Order: sequence, then C-alpha cells, then structure tokens
Amino acid sequence: MDLSALQSVGDDFIDDILQSWTGFCDCTHFLLHDSTSIDVNPMVEIQFASFVHTLCKHNFNGLLQDYFLQALEDAFNRNAISKLWRDFDNFYENNVLKKEKDNLCEDILQRTLKEISLHKAYHEKCIHSLVCFLQQHAQKNSERYIFDTDGSSILSKYQLMVSSLLLSSLPCHFPDVLRSYFDQKLEYLSKLMDTQCEEEDGGKFNDQNPVLLDSSDVGKGYDQSFISKNYNLVTNIGRVVDDLRNLGFSSLAEDAYASAIFFLLKTRVHNLAGDDYHIPVLKSIKEWIQAIPLQFLSDLLAYLGDIPESATDLCGLQSPLASLPSSVPGIIMSEGLVRWKLRLEYFAYETLQDLRIGKLFEIIVDYPDSCPAIDDLKQCLHYTGQHSKLVNSFVSSLRYRLLTACASTNDILDQYISTIKALRTVDPTGVFLETVAEPVRDYLRGRKDTIKCIVTMLTDGSGGNPSGPRTNGDSLLEELNRDPENIESVDYEDDFDISIKQAWFNAESWEPNHVAAGSSKGSSRRKFDILGMMIAIIGSKDQLVNEYRVMLAEKLLNKFDYDINSEIRTVELLKIHFGESNMQNCEIMLNDLIESKRTNTNIKASLCEPSQSENGNVSLDILDATIMSMNFWPPVQVESFNMPAAMDAVLTDYANRFHEIKRPRKLSWLKNHGTVKLELQFEGRTLQFSVAPIHAVIIMKFQEQMSWSSNDIADSIGIPVDILNKRITFWINKGIIAESHAAGIESNNHVFTVIERTDNIDLNDITHGDCEDLLANEDEHESLTSVEDLLKKEMGVYEKFITGMLTNFGTMTLDKIHNTLKIFCVAEPAYDKTLQQLQTFLSFLVSEEKLDFKGNLYLLKK
Amino acid sequence: MKAVASWTWDAQDETCGICRMTFDGCCPDCKFPGDDCPLIWGACNHAFHLHCILKWVNSQTPQPHCPMCRREWQFKA
Repeated sequence: MDLSALQSVGDDFIDDILQSWTGFCDCTHFLLHDSTSIDVNPMVEIQFASFVHTLCKHNFNGLLQDYFLQALEDAFNRNAISKLWRDFDNFYENNVLKKEKDNLCEDILQRTLKEISLHKAYHEKCIHSLVCFLQQHAQKNSERYIFDTDGSSILSKYQLMVSSLLLSSLPCHFPDVLRSYFDQKLEYLSKLMDTQCEEEDGGKFNDQNPVLLDSSDVGKGYDQSFISKNYNLVTNIGRVVDDLRNLGFSSLAEDAYASAIFFLLKTRVHNLAGDDYHIPVLKSIKEWIQAIPLQFLSDLLAYLGDIPESATDLCGLQSPLASLPSSVPGIIMSEGLVRWKLRLEYFAYETLQDLRIGKLFEIIVDYPDSCPAIDDLKQCLHYTGQHSKLVNSFVSSLRYRLLTACASTNDILDQYISTIKALRTVDPTGVFLETVAEPVRDYLRGRKDTIKCIVTMLTDGSGGNPSGPRTNGDSLLEELNRDPENIESVDYEDDFDISIKQAWFNAESWEPNHVAAGSSKGSSRRKFDILGMMIAIIGSKDQLVNEYRVMLAEKLLNKFDYDINSEIRTVELLKIHFGESNMQNCEIMLNDLIESKRTNTNIKASLCEPSQSENGNVSLDILDATIMSMNFWPPVQVESFNMPAAMDAVLTDYANRFHEIKRPRKLSWLKNHGTVKLELQFEGRTLQFSVAPIHAVIIMKFQEQMSWSSNDIADSIGIPVDILNKRITFWINKGIIAESHAAGIESNNHVFTVIERTDNIDLNDITHGDCEDLLANEDEHESLTSVEDLLKKEMGVYEKFITGMLTNFGTMTLDKIHNTLKIFCVAEPAYDKTLQQLQTFLSFLVSEEKLDFKGNLYLLKK
Repeated sequence: MKAVASWTWDAQDETCGICRMTFDGCCPDCKFPGDDCPLIWGACNHAFHLHCILKWVNSQTPQPHCPMCRREWQFKA
C-alpha cells in the first residue's frame, strides 16, 4: 500500500522507518506478552508512542494497525484460548458426581470467563492507547488526516476477531455447560421463591388477617421485590451474561438462559397440570410467570442496562397484545420485557395445550369433572391456534383406544357423548366436533347393537346396560329431558323483538370456521344437539323410532302389572323430539295397556254377578290380560299349543266376557306370550317361579304323571319335539326335571322325570332370582321379531329384482342397485328403503351365500 | 297369570269400504283404535267405521245409501 511512498523517501528516512518499525514490533510483543498485568508499563508506553508517531509521520498507520491486530490475535490465541478450554475439557473428561459437577460447572464457568475478560480488557486497553497515539498524531497533522482513527473501527475489528476465534475453537459441550449453569441457577431461584412463598402463606394463615388474605392481586403469595432482595444471585448471573456478551456470545448466552427459563416453565407446567383435571391451572401458571421468570428477567435486563433491547427497531412488528399488559406493579415493562412476557406466555400455552391434548382422551373420560382442564385447553388453543393438532391427535387416540373390538358399544357411546359435550365447550362452532365425530360415527354404524344401545340409553335412565353400575348411562335421558326447554324457547322467538335481539346476538358472536380443523363438510350439516348426533349415527329418526317400538313392545308384554308411568313419560319426551306422528304407534301401544287395565277391571267386576263361571276350580281372578291392537304393534310371533283344560277354560271364559262387554269385538289369545307365576310343591319344599306360559304348560303336564317321553309330551301339548326339547331345558337347568335316555329304538326319544327329592342338588342354584334372568334372556330373543328380521321380511320382495339385475349386469355397486330399484320398483310394493337398509339386506344375502361382494361390487354367487 | 291377547272386530270384511283402512285400525281422523273408533253395521250388514259412515250419511241428502250395496242406509239396531 505504501510502496509508492517508499519510493519517494530517501535512505535516511528508510533507516528511520526501519528502526521505528523494529522498535514498534518489539514494544508490541513486550506489551502483549505480559498480559497478566492490567496496567500498561508507562516506560514502554512512552517508547511505543514515539515509534507510532514516527511511523505515522511516514504514513504507515494502516500497516501499523494491521500488524498490531495480528499481534493481538496471536497473543490471544496463545495465552487465552488454549488455557480457557483446557479447563472445560478437564471438567468434562472427569466423571464427577452430578452435584459436584454442578458446582464445578459454576466455578469453572465463572473463573474462565473472568480470565478471558481480563485478557480482553488488557488488550482493549492496548488498543485504546494505540488509538490515542494515532489520534494525537492525526490532530497534529490535521491537514494530512485521511485515516479514520476514532478507534471504533479497530476496536470492533478486534472484537470480531476475538469472538470468531472463540467460536471457532469452541468445544462442543460449551452450550451444555451454559445450559446447566442457568438451569441450576434458575432452579435454585425458584426453589427459594417457593419456600418463601410457603412461609408467607403460612404466615398469613397464622395471622388470620383478613386484609392480607383479601389482597390477592396478581402474583399473590409471591413477593414482588423478593428477587430484588436476592440481588446477589441475579448479579452473579448478570455478570456471567455480561461477560459472555462482551466476548461476542450474546446470542449464545440468550439462547442458554432462554432455554433454561423455558425448561423451568415446562417443568412447572407439568408439575402444576399433571394428571389432575379438576382444577384450572392456567391462572396460576400465569401468576407464576409473572412472579418468577419475568421478575428475574426484568432484574437481569436492568443489570445489563437493557442493552440488547436497545435494538428496538422491531417496534413495527410488535404484537397488538404487547401494548396491553403493563399491569405489573413495580416492574416497568420495557419493550424487551414485554416481548419476553409474550414469549413465555405463548410457550406456557403451548406446553399446557400439548399436555392436555395428549391426555384429552382421559380428560374426556371423566368429563363432567374435568371441565376446568377443558376450559384451560380452550384458552390455550385460542392463543396458539393449533387446533389441527388437537383434532389429529385426538382422532388417532380415539381410533387406537376406543374404536376397537374390545370396547363395549355402551362405553363407546358414553365416550362419544362426553366428547360431544367437551368439544362443544372447546369450539362452539362445532367444526372439530364434525371431524372428530366422523370416525366414531362410521365405526358405530358397523356395530349391530348400536341402535339398541342408543335406544336403551335414551329411554332407560336407570342404567340400560346390565354390565355394571354406571352413572353416565342416563346422560342421554337427561338430554331428552333438557332439550324440550330449548325447543320451547325456540317457539318463544316468534315474538318480533326477541328474534331481532337474538339475531343480533348471533351475528355478534359469529366466529369464522377453523379451516385448520380440516373439515370437509359444509357448515350447513353441522349438528349441535347430542340427540341429533345420535340420530346421525343411526341414520334416520325412523330407524330409532322403530327400534324403540320393538323395545317398548317387549317391555310391555313382559310386564306383570299395568304400571306404565315411566314409559308414558319417555314416549311423551320422544314425541317432543321426533314429532307426534312418528310416535303414534307407541302411543297406541300404551293406550292399549291402559285400556286393558280398564277392561280387566270391568271383567273382574262382572264376575260378582254370578253367571257362567261355575265351571270348576280355577276362577277368573288369577288372570290378567294385556289386550293389544295387533296392527299397531310390531309383528309378534305366534306359536300355538294346547293349554291344560282348566287354563283353557279360564281363557275362554275371559274371552267370552270380553266379547260380551265390547260387543262386536272378539279376543284371540297369543298363548306364547305373557307370564305365569307358579308355585311348585314337592316333598318338603315349595318353589316359586315366574315363567313363560309354555314352560308353565310343560311343568303342569308333570302333575298328571311323573315322567314323560319327549314324543308323548310334545304330542299332548301340540308342539314339535325339537321346540319341546329346547323349552324343557329351562326346567332341567332349574333342577326340577331330569333327563334320561329311553331304552327304546329311537335315540332321540328322551324320558323326562320330575325330581322330587333335592338331596343332591344345591338349593342355591335354584333361587328365584335366577329364573327371572333366564326368562328375560329367553324372551329377548324369541318373543318378538327383531327389527332385522322385519327388514329381511320386507326386503325379501326385492330379492328377485336384485338377482335379476345382477344376472343382466354382472356386477353392480351398492349405489347402482339402490338407484335401479328406485327407478323400477315404483308399482306396489314401491321401493322406499334407505341405502343403509339395502346394504344390510345385501350383506345378509352375502352371508347366505347368494351373493358375492368384491371390492365394492356385488355379483351373483356361482 | 298374565296373558296376552289381541282383539279384532267381529266383522266379515277386513277393511272399511270408505277409508280403506283395516277395521282393526282406525279411521283417518282418529288416533286410537278400538272404543275410540268403533264400527257400525247397517241394516244391510255392511260394516264401516262409525266416523266414516257418519260423514257419508251427512253428506247424502235427503236419503243416504249404503256405499257398498246402494241400499237405503239404516243403522242396524
């Protein structure tokens, strides 16, 4: 650079320059070699100054600076760095105990930082003096002043050099060391705070001072100025941070203490929130953030003089929320602090949200009790907006944990209902619910007993499932009870004013759909009420009503008395929801029972006037009848058999009296329905049973003779032998009748004998309760045609059409079959089934091996 | 003993000739079958829902006829 200058100077000057240069180099080396002392040797300094002066005169200041920097770098490299990291390496190579390690870590960190800082300070001092000399010179020859000698550039060059040197030689575990240092400090701090807080609480408690207790403003229990009292600690940390920053590690340091704070916050959240869903935690977490990390940060920033935050040209990016919360007394919310607060709170929300989402399944399991947790989650989601996370994780946990073969339908339904309720709170717009509900609904549709369970839950508040005591089962009934009010209130809104108000309110509370939830459905399909969602599972109202009708019929037929109050209530409720016309049949059924009761009393009353009832030993009193209007009941299976003469006479008598009272109407008995209570008397014991008529008839046959062959008894009752064999097992199971093989030719002709003596039978087996269970079970399967059978019967008409179609077309999809049937079966009987009903029927045909189902195509079985 | 029975109208026909509903059901205006919607026989021995035939009779002036056999309508005593 100065070659041209060299050419122009004379020899004496060159000597002068060379001399000065050598002197300068020596001085520099001397200065930098002895870097342990802080003060610069004044003698050397004077010499140094003169050399610099000379060199500058010859316009060598650029070269001079370069050389000096190079020398500094060498010195730093030699003295500081090699020593610095040696300590760390030693520290990491030794396997010391955790606790010692922590202490050591703190020690080493502080010591090394101090050392390096000393080095650096000394070097800076050197630079400073150099700059001073340069400046002096420049002032003297102000006309030749061309070079920037205000020192900032050389200083910054130096700093850059130092930090790059350090960074390039940085051992990989240094960030860890920093982390653990901050972790440890902060942990210590928060522990201190906690104990302090507890002491204070205790103090408050002992004082019983109402004023103190009342002052529960933000950060109650935490003394705001407490950290300030522990200023020592903060100062320590502050010094470390400051040192690090001076070395050019400001981002490294910030990362380290930020992650330490976040770690602390995370553990805090986990501790507070944990597995307890019964208390809201968000508020206390916020208070804690306010009280500890923020307080700490504000002190730290204050100590550091808020330097990094001076870079506040980010003002424009500041979130609108930031201007709000300057609520903390005693802390002046600086720009940086506000940003920290937002960061911390967001992190807290996110952590809590993740925690809750992970446990959402459990939370929903004990839903009504876990409301606080759900409210917290709602708030968190409001800030973080990570709704899709919730949906995805919850859906997968549903699939994994709930929608499996081992979960009972009742449990799934319970969980489904709780889910609906819970998600309704989280997201009032119902978009997630739609997405979450989809897989559950699809799964439930595949289960056979779904409808039955739903109907049971709807109607049977006292616990529809016999599998165990549960409180949730009646939640649907509750829903039935609750909703009518809503419906009424809807009627109310015919009033003009109210409806305007309501519309305004709706408009105000409108919220955009969450696109993130990924719902593919339009908003119009959204259903809010639980009942609606249940119906959505089943497919249509009609199916639900149908199923209920069958269940109601079963219940009514098995009643021994005429008490139907609870059924009336249920039907009334259902009427409100499903419309009167849908429930018409059920109402008629109930009416039949009321009517039967009246008729029954009338017939009994007519008995007082003695007429033709002197027919024997059995009087009409023992008989109560349920008289049905056949057309309105679900199809009832009819089996006929011969009643014992006495019973038959009573029945005929009853029918005659009925005919008499209700003149042109006749009665026909459905002999296989109803209940018979009977008492069996044996030698030394009597047993009471309530059984189906057929069982009664069978056992009464044994009054005539002690043992029967199966053919004989079947003949005399008038039923096929296989049915008899099936029925008689009831008595065999009860230990009343014994079965033995006849010595005859036919191997299937059994002989049944009454067991009179019970010596070898445990009486416990034959308790009264047992047989009622059995009776109930049997009836459930046999007395009524199930909805499925009904469908089969109805769809049977179309079987021909379907096979015809398939012969013509080969293969067809479900949709196509459905549509074709709709087009062509318009004449009697018109095709009016739903797609689902058709699917059920087709799968039934497949199971009968009439059809084949491949992919999604149906084809004829060859 | 609790027995179960079903009732039917003791009529020769299945359905009401006017509303085409079964006798065991009820006429379109009624909700409940049985006593609430009784049958009535004419002198010609044709049976109808009481409500159905009353409507018919009232609409036929001056002299109503049985809808089935066109004989003069008279309620069977």
